[in-house]
Amino acid sequence: MQQKKGYVSFVLHAHLPFIHHPESDDYLEESWLYEAISETYIPLLTNFQKLVDEGVDFRITMSMTPPLLSMLDNKLLQRKYIKYLKRLIELSKKEVIRTAGDERLNKLSHYYLDRYSNDLHLFKDVYNCDLISQFKHFQDIGVLEIITCGATHGYFPILYVNEKTVKAQIAVGVQTYEKYFGRKPRGIWLPECGYVPESDKYLKEFGIDYIITESHGILYADPTPIYGTFSPIVSPEGIIAFGRDMESSRQVWSSINGYPGDFNYREFYRDIGYEADYDYIKPYIAHNGVRVHTGIKYHRITGKTEFKDYYNPQWAMDSAEKQSGHFLDCRTEQINNLSQYMDKPPIILCPYDAELYGHWWYEGPYWLYILFKKIYYDDCNFKLITPSEYIDKYPEIQVCSPCRSSWGANGYSEVWLNETNDYAHKHLHVAGDRMCELAYLYPNAKGLKKKALNQCARELLLAQSSDWLFIITNGTMVDYAKKRIKDHIGRFTKLYYQIKNDDIDEDFLKDISKKDCVFPDIDYSIYE
Amino acid sequence: MPRKAKENEELKRVVKDTTELKTKKSNTKKSTNRTTKNQELDVKLADTKTSNSRKKPVTKSVTEKKSSTSRKNTTKKDTSKKSKKSSTVKKQVKPTLVEYYDLPERYNQTVVKVLAQTPKTLFIYWEISDSDIEKYITQYGENFFETTKPVLIIHNDTLNYSFEVEINDFANSWYLHINDTKSNYRIELGRRPVNNNVDLKSDYIYITSSNKIESPNDHILFNNSEKMVYFRNVKTNHEIQKPLYTLSFMKNIGKIYDIYDLYSELYKNEDSLENLSNPSSNMSSQFK
Repeated sequence: MQQKKGYVSFVLHAHLPFIHHPESDDYLEESWLYEAISETYIPLLTNFQKLVDEGVDFRITMSMTPPLLSMLDNKLLQRKYIKYLKRLIELSKKEVIRTAGDERLNKLSHYYLDRYSNDLHLFKDVYNCDLISQFKHFQDIGVLEIITCGATHGYFPILYVNEKTVKAQIAVGVQTYEKYFGRKPRGIWLPECGYVPESDKYLKEFGIDYIITESHGILYADPTPIYGTFSPIVSPEGIIAFGRDMESSRQVWSSINGYPGDFNYREFYRDIGYEADYDYIKPYIAHNGVRVHTGIKYHRITGKTEFKDYYNPQWAMDSAEKQSGHFLDCRTEQINNLSQYMDKPPIILCPYDAELYGHWWYEGPYWLYILFKKIYYDDCNFKLITPSEYIDKYPEIQVCSPCRSSWGANGYSEVWLNETNDYAHKHLHVAGDRMCELAYLYPNAKGLKKKALNQCARELLLAQSSDWLFIITNGTMVDYAKKRIKDHIGRFTKLYYQIKNDDIDEDFLKDISKKDCVFPDIDYSIYE
Repeated sequence: MPRKAKENEELKRVVKDTTELKTKKSNTKKSTNRTTKNQELDVKLADTKTSNSRKKPVTKSVTEKKSSTSRKNTTKKDTSKKSKKSSTVKKQVKPTLVEYYDLPERYNQTVVKVLAQTPKTLFIYWEISDSDIEKYITQYGENFFETTKPVLIIHNDTLNYSFEVEINDFANSWYLHINDTKSNYRIELGRRPVNNNVDLKSDYIYITSSNKIESPNDHILFNNSEKMVYFRNVKTNHEIQKPLYTLSFMKNIGKIYDIYDLYSELYKNEDSLENLSNPSSNMSSQFK
């Protein structure tokens, strides 16, 4: 048995913005959640369970953001997800008939029918619509460490102009975590890995031990960390920062050489929503007739040309197995090299968006499952670990101030602050200041006023989601993102004046409280 | 303008029943020029925006393309909330409130704020309140805003120097290149006479100052001057310092960072450098 010379730590960041529209069925954006449940969250849960059943000792860390938790906990969205699955199953059944003349396609249509039927069975009968408890279970048995995130994924390096708004993001993030997981989080995923030292004191105040930063958050720290990203650092305020390892990230993220680009893997962009006969597919696409993804995809990446062959699940699994072997070999070599230079075991931190696994990289959850099995059974020189465990094992940490950074394009704030979205910031800043003003003016509000103040806090937090700014930069679904900023700032401002004029419109408050029902237990006094 | 009236004015701009918006706007002084492209766009949207009182709120968002065209095609003026409520509610179907909001062009405050976009680019936005505009006009004369131009003075408090950039009254925000990373900056908004013929008794009129920010660091520091490395046991909070020269692994630091340099080199040979280092900006984000 080889001696363990180091550690690898996987961190999956599970996040979706809060999208909840009881007022209409026409919001396609709600399906982001359903797709993520079917393609990422259920596959992760089933693979964790398989590992546990097979006696594989593994460790993984996941951040589950407060808006995601709120949506997973939402009864209406749970019902809508079931409806979504039923429609998909109906379509899959039609596909089985439609493809009867083509053996390869027919096999695939059966595959989807099985898969979505199984999702429905798991979600309704096994999980009882409660995915959060499923994740909590794996945390409780010690294989999964769940960490929190900013309340609505607000981007700290821009919000911190008013520090109280950053404090509130942290406070609500921690409170939401405690509500669902019954304990305090030890770690936090800083939204977009956006780090500013000004947030340290609030992280400390709410009991956070560690954060994850982009590689240069560590490499450009002051003074220079002597172990690079291969060991955490601790800030003067006492916040421990782990940095993303560049080599392992590259193997997964690179669009050229990255694993998800394997020719045997499922092609994301070829979906029958775009390809099937229009009249046939119409009931399963957008209400207004726009073609969208259905989740039934029959092709594999095949190559760099437009030609796409049919998907073959067995070939895809073979590729995933080969690649997990490659990843294991690379980490082994990396740790061998590093351990020569270090006087404590290095930690290789591998953070990814959770939705990469399964939604974008369809075979990702299987890859992870095989990798974890290999790490456990093969005689390799490292073990899986969570950041918390590493801290507990090696508590002597170099004191450095991490560098202001993010994991967005070019490593700083350009994604969330550029010519497409810079107009939004003054509104977010003013609303933040006004929220603090309200909390100061009405410290012990009761009844309707208290409800209105709490709703103001929700509207502010929802407006602050980094997602809207990101979507505007990215150039898809821009109208929706802009509308969300306008709606939340608009609702906030209307309420702000109603509160100040002592003229609260109860119907209005009721209506928006139903729509923006995130964080039911919020207390506006966090802005005091 | 009395406080309440100001609030109402802003609210009208925020909530879409703002038929008065245009007339109000033309009454305000300099500030009317200071709309950004985005804001103008929003205002236009607001002007053409409708919501048919009997239908569901116009909040359909399907694909970007779809919703924007559907908006363009609708031209009826917005009807007020009240008229919606009073119209055909016979079936006792509880109508959802029709909401339409637009962002206000300005908040009628005197402010300058600075944010760091990158280690070498600052983003600055500003506004001058109506009452301050009046104040300067009273103090310096009717043509104050025509005979002066706005400037931003950038103070680097870490390296202790300042420099000035001339801006204009058509802008309300600015991206500014700076030379020094890891420095504390603050910005001052002021005005200077457009030429020497203007007699204002002062060649600089201070308006307001910004928040303070630090520009991010953008390189490995390799602090050679440091003689000690500090460690903290995070369980006991006990801190120890080790002299650099006693740490045998210090000689390896270069090797650890060489790996990093090696990766940087590798990345340079790829077309998609951004894809490698910026997870949130591409692949995984197909939802968004």
